[in-house]
Amino acid sequence: MLLITCPHCGPRDESEFSCGGEAHIARPLAENNLTDAEFADYLFLRDNPKGLFLERWRHAAGCRRWFNMARDTVTHEIVEIYPMGSGPASQAGKAAHAASWRRDTAAEAAAKPAPKARAKKEQVS
Amino acid sequence: MASVSNEGQRPPGRTALTDMTVMTHDNPDGGKPGLVITELAHLGKINLRGGSDMLPVISNHTGCSALPDNNRVVSVGDRHIVWLGPDEFLLLCAAGSETHLHSQLTLDMAGIHAAVTNVTDSLCALSLRGKAVRRVLAKGCALDLHSSKFGTGDCAQTMLAHAAVTLIAHDAPGFTLVCRTSFAPYVTEWLMDAGLEFGASFRG
Ligand SMILES: [Zn+2]
Repeated sequence: MLLITCPHCGPRDESEFSCGGEAHIARPLAENNLTDAEFADYLFLRDNPKGLFLERWRHAAGCRRWFNMARDTVTHEIVEIYPMGSGPASQAGKAAHAASWRRDTAAEAAAKPAPKARAKKEQVS
Repeated sequence: MASVSNEGQRPPGRTALTDMTVMTHDNPDGGKPGLVITELAHLGKINLRGGSDMLPVISNHTGCSALPDNNRVVSVGDRHIVWLGPDEFLLLCAAGSETHLHSQLTLDMAGIHAAVTNVTDSLCALSLRGKAVRRVLAKGCALDLHSSKFGTGDCAQTMLAHAAVTLIAHDAPGFTLVCRTSFAPYVTEWLMDAGLEFGASFRG
């Protein structure tokens, strides 16, 4: 059993939490420009590494808030717990984030606003 | 903090535990039962969602000077504000006073990004007293319930024997337990069973 430190409630038993799977999967904005295979990377494919894994967790039986966790899938060591919407702060966490195959996918590239679209927006305003 | 109570009265109307038999398992060692369960029938419960800008309104209606810190309860008289999450609180008030309080809060929260919901009948509140309360709860709860870790004015949402509960610790060896109405008979029966070895009574 893991003892997980909820950012709001403090250390609690694992049974109070639910795991939401891989973190940092951004939804492609320009999804019509993607092939089905590229979109499948975003929609279906999930990492299952042996070692450090960046995951989303929710304190389901407590404050019901989401947070991110960097957990070693072999030793169960929790390296870091950090808020939703931000990246890992630890060296190991940053390295795991950078090493993910997802960083090189067309789906993730399409999750960032295109420079063209941004320029258009600025013109309008 | 003063404990939550119904001042000895049982307001009219059915509750989740109306049909539960009032019962006592004698303390095998003699003396008082180690666990005494009393339903706080119809105890007023109002769920509050919002940020610190709710404070002036809540303060106005409860007399509290600050919202509770994480895992803490603020009590003024018979009104208790229980911390549930970073932007969520449970307000406990005397049975029967919740309807008026709810409408007052709703009116005064106009213009504030907040939600006020009367959840009185969606939740059931139990008073748990007696010497063995912590030992009984520890049988089904993963929290560290030692009084040095979970003392007066502390609260937590957690699991008790697979049921989601909110626990509030009072100064006397007593707790207020809040659970879903539909779970109340199960939780009560589980508590009576877990308290068997210490003696337990359910007073309804
Ligand atoms: Zn929490």
